Amino acid sequence: MIKVIAACVIGAALAGGFTVVATQLATESTATAEPVNETLYNYGDR
Amino acid sequence: MRPVRRPDRMLPWAVGLLAGVLALGPALGRGYVLRYDMVFVPEPSLTTVLRGADGFPRAIPSDAVVAALSALVPGDVVQAAALLCVFTVGGAGAARLLSRPVGGAGHAASAAAGVAYVWNPFVAERLLLGQWAMLLGYAGLPWVVGAVVRLGSTGGVAGFAGLLRALIPAAVGGFSSVVLTALTAGPVALFPRARAAGAGGGSPRSPRAGAPEAGEGGEPPETSDPPVADGRSGKSVPSWVAGGPRGRVAVTGLLLLALLLVSLPWLLPSLASGAGTDPAGVAAFAARPDTPFGAVGSLFLLGGVWNSGAVPAGYGEPVTATLRLALCLVALAGWVWWLRRDRPGFGFGLSVAAGAGFGIALLGTTEPGRAVLAWLVGLWPGFGPLRDGQLYVAPLALVQALGFGAAVRWVARGGRPGRFEAGGDTASRGSAGVRGRSAWWLGVTVFAVFLPLMVLPGLVWGAGGRLVPVDYPREWLRARDAVAADDRPGAVLVLPWSAYRGLDWSGEPVVVLDPATKLFDRRTLWNDDLRVGVPDGGTVVVAGEDARAREVARALETDPATGLPDTGDPEDLAGLLGGLGVRYVMVSAPIDNEFLLRAPGVSAVVEGPGMSLFRVNDQHVKADKGRGTGLEVTGGLVTVGAIVWSVARSGSSLVLQRSGFRARPGARKEIPK
Repeated sequence: MIKVIAACVIGAALAGGFTVVATQLATESTATAEPVNETLYNYGDR
Repeated sequence: MRPVRRPDRMLPWAVGLLAGVLALGPALGRGYVLRYDMVFVPEPSLTTVLRGADGFPRAIPSDAVVAALSALVPGDVVQAAALLCVFTVGGAGAARLLSRPVGGAGHAASAAAGVAYVWNPFVAERLLLGQWAMLLGYAGLPWVVGAVVRLGSTGGVAGFAGLLRALIPAAVGGFSSVVLTALTAGPVALFPRARAAGAGGGSPRSPRAGAPEAGEGGEPPETSDPPVADGRSGKSVPSWVAGGPRGRVAVTGLLLLALLLVSLPWLLPSLASGAGTDPAGVAAFAARPDTPFGAVGSLFLLGGVWNSGAVPAGYGEPVTATLRLALCLVALAGWVWWLRRDRPGFGFGLSVAAGAGFGIALLGTTEPGRAVLAWLVGLWPGFGPLRDGQLYVAPLALVQALGFGAAVRWVARGGRPGRFEAGGDTASRGSAGVRGRSAWWLGVTVFAVFLPLMVLPGLVWGAGGRLVPVDYPREWLRARDAVAADDRPGAVLVLPWSAYRGLDWSGEPVVVLDPATKLFDRRTLWNDDLRVGVPDGGTVVVAGEDARAREVARALETDPATGLPDTGDPEDLAGLLGGLGVRYVMVSAPIDNEFLLRAPGVSAVVEGPGMSLFRVNDQHVKADKGRGTGLEVTGGLVTVGAIVWSVARSGSSLVLQRSGFRARPGARKEIPK
């Protein structure tokens, strides 16, 4: 049982760690930027 | 087969809830999350929502439901609950559609399917586009698929009531949700397949496994129509398949009837509106590549939304996109593996739906396809929803989620094949399988369940801070109160003459539909034309549908560059506005409003940073042209009545689970095999 719990914790921790790292990389990349200081805003830009 | 324990039954819901909390994060706090089409306001007026505008009633019934709930709890709480429902209902539905959450492998497979269904580019992009109501319908898709299987298996009133209950999210979501649901569930009803004996996923022998809603239903066991045994093949043949074409037509007909019932609130006024749809929207809203794999690859990855501002941070990068592609390929392989092995009753139909949806999404990416769509939209406005092609990859999202769950199941069993637990003959093997696996495999399985999060980190915690709740400035609330305190008729004109604003209430500018369009308890006149920027720097304008707004635009001769009216002599402004039935003018952007301050007959009521409210003096205002709400109310009452009947039929609902449920001997809920 201890092995099972430990395996679950390790698997989840690894996944969480990867997600945190990926999140930081993703937010730094900022694929798109919000338009600013426009008089009239488009519904969106393709 | 051992019965599903209560903690096991809660697992799918917990998976969806956890995914929702992780994705929404700060958006669940107090305040209103405003982004593109997602506009919630304090104390919205139900009457005003029902009265609507003169075009298609796009905000019905979602805004009407929000207004009704906001009478009971604060509007921001309603918004947070609605957003959380998307993840919880969707995740739970996909998790339960895959297999019974029994045994370690079953748990992992269910959790993986639930996570994959609500954590993908489709959900992220539509959320960032603010289309929460459509996402509610998306969340209901696995429930509807299960309900169609159950209807085909058992038939009768109980099956139809279950289908109506499963359609509640689509009913709230409105027309996009219902169109998506019809696309997904239609082929499932038309192309049922005999499933392998003992297999899960839509098993008519095991309503809980195949029909998620059935788990909370209340149909007595005697209503069950056991499948017909096929002695030659050993397959389990549901009555729906055994009935041949007539059985399929009957199930499809009942599905169409149910869809019609939940569509009445928006369908009746739409048919009576006489509004048109601008074919220019075909090019504006066609899917576009948001990964290095082109439009086709982007759609296969469940992305490709038309708006570049709705792409999650980091998603389009080569590394993350490639990882996502690998995940999608694994999911597709898992789907094929599962179809071949267990042959779920809905498998072929859902595959057809995914293929058809993918084809519709691709139409807008080619010139001939766009020409066909434009012709269709010009032919009949009812084809208008086809403009937004990426919407139709939703069935593919369900296929990939279930396939991913199946792949995780395969991993959990250490690569050893085996049927899902629903059939009972493998239940013990399923539960024992993981117990017998090494801890190493268990760790890998848990890691695999979270893969969708790792390859789409841009959705984490309010989509990387892009979903942030804000409070309405005091001036806005004062403006709303001032208008509400005035019982004289007259509409509110929203200027500048453009639908979207760049609000910076959170410190960061966010493009959002002007909240003034929903803030007041009376008819609001605003420009519902949609301007879409194209890559060459130009702009495509998709004409709006509100006939009265067009009338106002012509009279005010608004400047497209500034959105301000060119009224010539300020002396004439009050008379002009009054002649249009305008009592108030809400200027909801920081622009030069001198022309209003100088106009005689117009007085400032509220002024604040970035907004002003003006009143047109009484003698100038002609009575507002009121519009009846008969069609909306009649349709709404029929729909609500049908849903109430379906819930009362079983004493339960899609979302609510009876706590402390005990399986009675012979009860349909927990049929031991």
